[in-house]
Amino acid sequence: MPVAIKIEDLYRSFKTHFWQKITPALSGVSIEINEGEIFGFLGPNGAGKTTTIKILTGLIKPDKGKVSIFNQPPHSLEVKKRIGYLPELPYFYEHLSGHEILDLHCHLLNIKNSQNLISESLTKVGLKEAGNNRIRGYSRGMLQRLGCAIALLGDPDLLILDEPLSGLDPIGRKEIKDLIFEQKGKKKTVFFSTHILPDVEEICDRVGIIINGQIVEVGILADLLKGAEQPISLEDWFIKKVKA
Amino acid sequence: MISRVWAISKNIFCEGIRQRVLMLAVVFAIALVFLSVFLGPFSLGEISKIIRDFGLAVSSLLAIFIIITIGAAILYRDIERRTIYTIITRPIKTNEIILGKFIGLSLLVIVLVIMTAIIQQLVIFLFEIKFDPYILIAPLISIFEIMIMVGILLLFSSFSSSVFSSIMTIIFYIVGHMSPDLKLFADTVKAPGLKLLTKFFYYILPNLENFNLRTEVVYHLSLPRDQILFTISYGFAYTILLICLSVIIFEYREFK
Repeated sequence: MPVAIKIEDLYRSFKTHFWQKITPALSGVSIEINEGEIFGFLGPNGAGKTTTIKILTGLIKPDKGKVSIFNQPPHSLEVKKRIGYLPELPYFYEHLSGHEILDLHCHLLNIKNSQNLISESLTKVGLKEAGNNRIRGYSRGMLQRLGCAIALLGDPDLLILDEPLSGLDPIGRKEIKDLIFEQKGKKKTVFFSTHILPDVEEICDRVGIIINGQIVEVGILADLLKGAEQPISLEDWFIKKVKA
Repeated sequence: MISRVWAISKNIFCEGIRQRVLMLAVVFAIALVFLSVFLGPFSLGEISKIIRDFGLAVSSLLAIFIIITIGAAILYRDIERRTIYTIITRPIKTNEIILGKFIGLSLLVIVLVIMTAIIQQLVIFLFEIKFDPYILIAPLISIFEIMIMVGILLLFSSFSSSVFSSIMTIIFYIVGHMSPDLKLFADTVKAPGLKLLTKFFYYILPNLENFNLRTEVVYHLSLPRDQILFTISYGFAYTILLICLSVIIFEYREFK
C-alpha cells in the first residue's frame, strides 16, 4: 500500500529561554502511515504528539531526521494542497464570522464559487445557524467544529488533526467521529492525536504510542492488546505503557 | 496570488474595522476635530490655521494609535493565539501572507485618515463656508508614513512579541520625527564615536519628517514637485525594504 506519511528518525529539542537547558521533545521518532488509513497518535501530555504534528505541517523544522508526505517535503505547496490541518485549541479572528473564515480558506485553496460549499461545510459540522455570527461568541466546541470544517475544505487526501475530539460534547464527538469515518470511506488518510482512548478503539485502523518523545508501540490496537500477558482494557494497557 | 493576498487583506481589514477600540478612537478623533473650533480664544486670531493644524495633528496621532493598538493586537493573535496556523499550512507563500497583512492593516489606517480629512473639510466649510482642498495633500502624503509604520510593525512582529513590536514602532515613530535633529546633532557633536553612531541611526532609521507637510499646507506654501516625488519614492522604497525583510525573517520563523 502506498505510504502517505513517512517519518524517519526524527529529533527535535526546545530551549524556551537563552539560559534554560535544552529539553528534548522528540528522540528518534519513526512511523509510516499508509494511504487510506486512520492512524491514532496516543501519548500523555508533553509526550511529543503536537511537536510531531507541527513538523508534519511544516510549522517547525526537525533538528534531525526526515519527514515526507506523499513522497514530498511537508512544506512544499503541492503537499499543502493535499492536506487539511486542525490545530490543538484552534483560534480564529474573533470579529469575523465562521462563514467569513471559511471563505478566506476557500480563496487560499483557490476554490471558485464557494458559497454553496461553505454552507454545506457549516451544516456538516453543525454550525449552520451560527455561521454568520461573530466567532467571539463561539464556545470551545463550536471553535473545534469550525476548525474541522476548515480542515475538511477542498476534500484533502490527508487530514492531520491535533486533538480533534477535545472540548466537544457527546453529540459533537459523535459528529466529528462520523466525519472521520466518512474520510475512511473515501479512502482518505487521517492522522490524529488524542487523549480519549475509547474513541481510538472505535475509529483507528492502527495506533502509535509516543512517550517522552519516543515511539513505544505501533500497530493494530487489537494485536497490541493481545500481546498483553492477560486480557486488559485499552485504558489499563495505556497506563501500564506510560508507567513503564 | 492576487486572490489569496486580497483574501488575507480583507480579513485583516474586517477584523480591525469591527473592533470597539477603533470605533472609540475614531469618535474621539472626530470629536477633537470638531472641538478645534473652540480653540479660537487661544489662537490669537489664527483660528483658521488652528483648525487646520489641529485636525492634521489629530489625524496623524490617530494613525499611529491604530497601528500600535489594533495592528499589534491582530498580529499578536496571529502568533501568540495561533490564528496563523491554519493559514500558513495552506498552499500559500510567505510573501503572500506578509503582503496580505500589510495591505489589510495599511488600508484600515488609510481609510480612517481619509475619513478624518473629510470631517476636517466639513469643519472648515462650517466655519469658513468654503473647502480647503490644498490641505488634503498632507493626509495623502501621510499615507506613505502609514505604510512605513505598518511595515515596521510587521517587521518586528515577524520575530518578536507584540509588546516589543509596539514599543519599537513607537520608538521608530518618535525617532523618525526627530530625524532632522539627529542630523544636526551628528553635524555638531565632537566625539567621533558618537558622531558615527548618530550618523548611522540617521541613515538607517526612516526620516518621517519627510512626510510632515503640515506647515506647508496650513500656510499654503508652495510644494515643489521634486520634493513630493522624492517623498513618495522614499516612502515606497523604505516600505518595500521593510516588507522584503519581514518576508525573509518570517520564512525562517518557527511556530512553536
